[in-house]
Amino acid sequence: MSDDIRKKDEMTSVQTHQARPGSTSPNASISRKLRDFYDAVQEEGIPDRFLDLLERLDEAEKNAALTKQVEAK
Amino acid sequence: MIKDKEAESDDRVFKRDLLASLPNLRAFAVSLTGRHDKADDLVQDTIMKAWANQKSFTPGTNMRAWLFTILRNEFYSQMRKRGREVQDSDGLFSERFSVHPEQYGRLDLEDFRKALDKLPDDQREAIVLVGAAGFAYEEAAEICGCAVGTIKSRVSRARTRLQELLGVSGEGDYGPDAGDAAITSRAFGS
Repeated sequence: MSDDIRKKDEMTSVQTHQARPGSTSPNASISRKLRDFYDAVQEEGIPDRFLDLLERLDEAEKNAALTKQVEAK
Repeated sequence: MIKDKEAESDDRVFKRDLLASLPNLRAFAVSLTGRHDKADDLVQDTIMKAWANQKSFTPGTNMRAWLFTILRNEFYSQMRKRGREVQDSDGLFSERFSVHPEQYGRLDLEDFRKALDKLPDDQREAIVLVGAAGFAYEEAAEICGCAVGTIKSRVSRARTRLQELLGVSGEGDYGPDAGDAAITSRAFGS
């Protein structure tokens, strides 16, 4: 229940005019579904392909820097 | 020499912040494209672009907003080239959620994705940026390159449309307290 109240508070700044007394705000329900959807994707973490990609970009950059240093000498 | 060291640590900070933003960035990509495979391609392109342009990023400013802007621009430029592909991914999405199927309910998520997919692009990005990705209206407006008031009205229209699409009537069909709320509402309402 306190969770619902918290969610409602967060909603206040967005809009509350559509909420009817005595019912859960439809906006709160939509917001919650949206966040559940979004969080589910976030919780999948970072796929390996991106970690590999960043490693490769890092390596490429270091090699380029090294080449430059050698050329400068 | 000192300059080199500073540059190196900036690089490391850049990479660390980029990594930290990835799950959120990827969720945005999935929201925009409606598909994991397309989303991951989009994220990959975004990482390459961000990396190539890291000199144009000012350390200490909002990297997340910067990355989201790149991804968004990339998304629209690809869409202009190819057109938004017809969704043929029923079930493809829910298969990806093997983490907490019992907790979230795959069908709920799949239904929501389908509804989100039916929104016009400008409304979809607005409600996702503000309602899920954690941006303020002002930041969302900057990312989308429009006025704050425009973002607000898009978010509002997106909510209304999602309520229609999902048949959310106000009794809240979600969560353990929802049943009680509905009963209370029926008993004491209208």
